Amino acid sequence: MRAAAGGSAVIIGAALCPSPPLLARELTGRDPLVSGLREACAEVTARLVDADPDVIVVVGSASETSAWDSASRVDLSAFAPALEADGTPGLPLSLGLGALLLDQAGYAGPRVLQAVGEREPTARCAELGDKLSASVGRAALLVLGDGSARRSLTAPGHLDERAAPFDAQVERAIRDGDLAALAAVNEALASDLMATGRPAWQVLAVAMGTGQPATQVLYADAPFGVTYLVAHFEAVTNGAGWPGAT
Amino acid sequence: MAIVNRTPDSFYRPGITWDEAAALERVHTVVAEGADIVDIGGVPAKPGTEVTVDEEIRRTTPFVEAVREAYPDLVISVDTWRNEVGRAACGAGADLLNDTWSGWDPKLAEVAGEFGVGLVCSHAGGLQPRTRVFRAAYADVMADVLDRTLSLAQRAMQAGVDPSRILIDPAHDFGKNTWHSLEISRRLAAMTATGWPVLVSVSNKDFVGETLGAGVEDRLAGTLAVTSVAAWLGARVFRAHHVEQTRQALDMVAAIKGDFQPARVLKGLV
Repeated sequence: MRAAAGGSAVIIGAALCPSPPLLARELTGRDPLVSGLREACAEVTARLVDADPDVIVVVGSASETSAWDSASRVDLSAFAPALEADGTPGLPLSLGLGALLLDQAGYAGPRVLQAVGEREPTARCAELGDKLSASVGRAALLVLGDGSARRSLTAPGHLDERAAPFDAQVERAIRDGDLAALAAVNEALASDLMATGRPAWQVLAVAMGTGQPATQVLYADAPFGVTYLVAHFEAVTNGAGWPGAT
Repeated sequence: MAIVNRTPDSFYRPGITWDEAAALERVHTVVAEGADIVDIGGVPAKPGTEVTVDEEIRRTTPFVEAVREAYPDLVISVDTWRNEVGRAACGAGADLLNDTWSGWDPKLAEVAGEFGVGLVCSHAGGLQPRTRVFRAAYADVMADVLDRTLSLAQRAMQAGVDPSRILIDPAHDFGKNTWHSLEISRRLAAMTATGWPVLVSVSNKDFVGETLGAGVEDRLAGTLAVTSVAAWLGARVFRAHHVEQTRQALDMVAAIKGDFQPARVLKGLV
């Protein structure tokens, strides 16, 4: 981690991806199953890398809040024991998939891996977002977080009628670049609906600051009962593109 | 390896591919179901009406030609013990001679060598072709199987058969009672450990029927169980009536072993 040139820390953009294990091609058997989803994730990750940030901060929901060694990777053998583990302790799934996306994008620059606890209250997520935006230089965020896992009768959490409107609201906040709405996602409802991305979304919303980013949703669907959102956020100040960019 | 019998009187569904058109139709079906090899036979294993050499050739050779024409790359096996039949079959395009009667005719290996085709070296407990097991006894049936099949493999090499085209087959039910066939099933690893590729031919056989008390039409589950155990123990070729189900059982075992990717894995990963 280093300070931004000129001394000001700023988040120049963010990518949001989901974190189902099946994002890892090795896990789905002969059927790639979610090619479109993987392509969308690769696309938003590539955009982050292309913006040439000083550092990419990977933020993902996990069992508890903690920073991880930037050299760590996902251990897919936890999901498919036939795949060989490399012996090092694996990252939490969300961070691990984020690290994988960066590797696949060919990103070799500095990275920070920050897990945010699934049960962290909104206020703690906001603190974490503030802290990240203030301390990491000219940074880009790669945020891993999923919508409700209760979208259908066959979903992991079965069907909850509140899930679709909840996810639609989150999607709308992202499409509109409405960071305040994203920061204010209802914690209890998100928990009920097994929307594990909630803490990560809130870190993202607060870290991006108070402006209205230009956003693009590349994927929004729940093909297996869990809502996957892929989006790109570009911080806009004075309508002039990346802040801090020449 | 899909069984295609050009006989009116084989034990399983006798006569269903006696007609050439029906036999060719079966080839189309089994290829579509995933067979890599077809095994064409003109003489049933059980005793019965004599089938002369000429008649056996008449039953198999034109059919081998027809299959070869339809499937240039399919491995065609001919189930015969007779060198004259093997020669005619190889001339018609066969790739493999399945000598279920354990080298009864030593000249068959010479034909395989001459034509550069493969040879299955099997164990039949010393029985002459088309005879039934009668009070067979072995001090150690697997030792006998290994002794016979490995010496036949050596003999085949000496006859000029390419070692990479030799398979060994314990030949369940041939010269064996049900206990013997269960024993060789259980100890099949002793055969696979030799390094020779092992063929097993268990489909709907009597040892399955006796074990399960099942008639000939009710032996599929038992057949697939033996097939799966054999696959787990390293067998490489499976002679089968039910190709689709056999393929599925083998794919399942291969996936358990880690040799085959599941078609589509979603459960718990969404």
